[in-house]
Amino acid sequence: MNLFRKIKQLFSWQQPPTRSAGMAMQAANPKMAQKILGMLEKTQEEELTCDEVFALLDQFAEMTARGENVSELMPLVELHLEICGDCREEYESLMNVIQHPA
Amino acid sequence: MAGFQKQCSVKDNLLSMNQRTNEQWLADLRAKGDMRDAALSDLRALILRSLPYALSGKLNPNSPEFESLAEEVAQETLLKVLEHLDTFEGRSLFTTWVHKIAVRQALGELRRRRWRDVPLPEMEMNDDSDIMPRELADEQPSPEIMAERNDVMMRIQRIISEELTEKQRLALMSVVMQEMPLEEVAQKMGTNRNAMYKLMHDTRLRLKRRMEAEGMFPDEILAVFAKSVG
Repeated sequence: MNLFRKIKQLFSWQQPPTRSAGMAMQAANPKMAQKILGMLEKTQEEELTCDEVFALLDQFAEMTARGENVSELMPLVELHLEICGDCREEYESLMNVIQHPA
Repeated sequence: MAGFQKQCSVKDNLLSMNQRTNEQWLADLRAKGDMRDAALSDLRALILRSLPYALSGKLNPNSPEFESLAEEVAQETLLKVLEHLDTFEGRSLFTTWVHKIAVRQALGELRRRRWRDVPLPEMEMNDDSDIMPRELADEQPSPEIMAERNDVMMRIQRIISEELTEKQRLALMSVVMQEMPLEEVAQKMGTNRNAMYKLMHDTRLRLKRRMEAEGMFPDEILAVFAKSVG
């Protein structure tokens, strides 16, 4: 493949190993590359932090439970939940709780 | 008449249990003495009843671990609720706000227990010098697709090693490769989850900007990986 050869010529891949090369190498399998690209695809210049999302999470969960259009009303919370596994897990647990009132 | 009174008192009981309004919860928790004790005890019962749902699929409610976790979570949640009572803005049910705190407490504790002994990924160079990108064993893409993928993977590798600080690389690899929760990575790196999210956001932005500057657009190159194999 031409592009591949060209790029190999442009950049020297066989650099002496460094600590950082060791880390970077871990990206060299398709699953990892796919995960990283998936994250980058969602990345926006402005995102809410975990604390900002936590402050809105009870309201967001109730709105979702009522069937309101959260994608339109709180798109930044929704985006954060797509990106952040910790917050998504907490959101899903909260939904479980409020949909099964004890 | 007696039936009506009975109905009323049942209703009052229910109200005093779980069906307080937001204002009643706040007033009772701010009161002194019996009122407050009753509210705290009701809240505690509410948290304990909701925990099996909060942890469903994660922890068996009949396990001994669940029992010890539940006690701890209920206690910590009540303390947090009292501490942050003034920050409740009434944009949800008070009980949803409490559940939110309990859920974070419970999952946080569960994560700590599960990840306590797992170290951050090794930053050292591997000795097997496996420089070429690795395809997964169960995948057999065509040579063209493989070449294309290898190209993309090598470029991503290069950008990661050129663009990111050591801290950013470590965070990225812990979250992506090790699938470690952000909170645990933060704790092991001596910071907090919010700061770790910001670090990861900055990491993603740097990679994305650099890739786009090189004409690589994540949505387009993702298609290379989506192509069916074999």
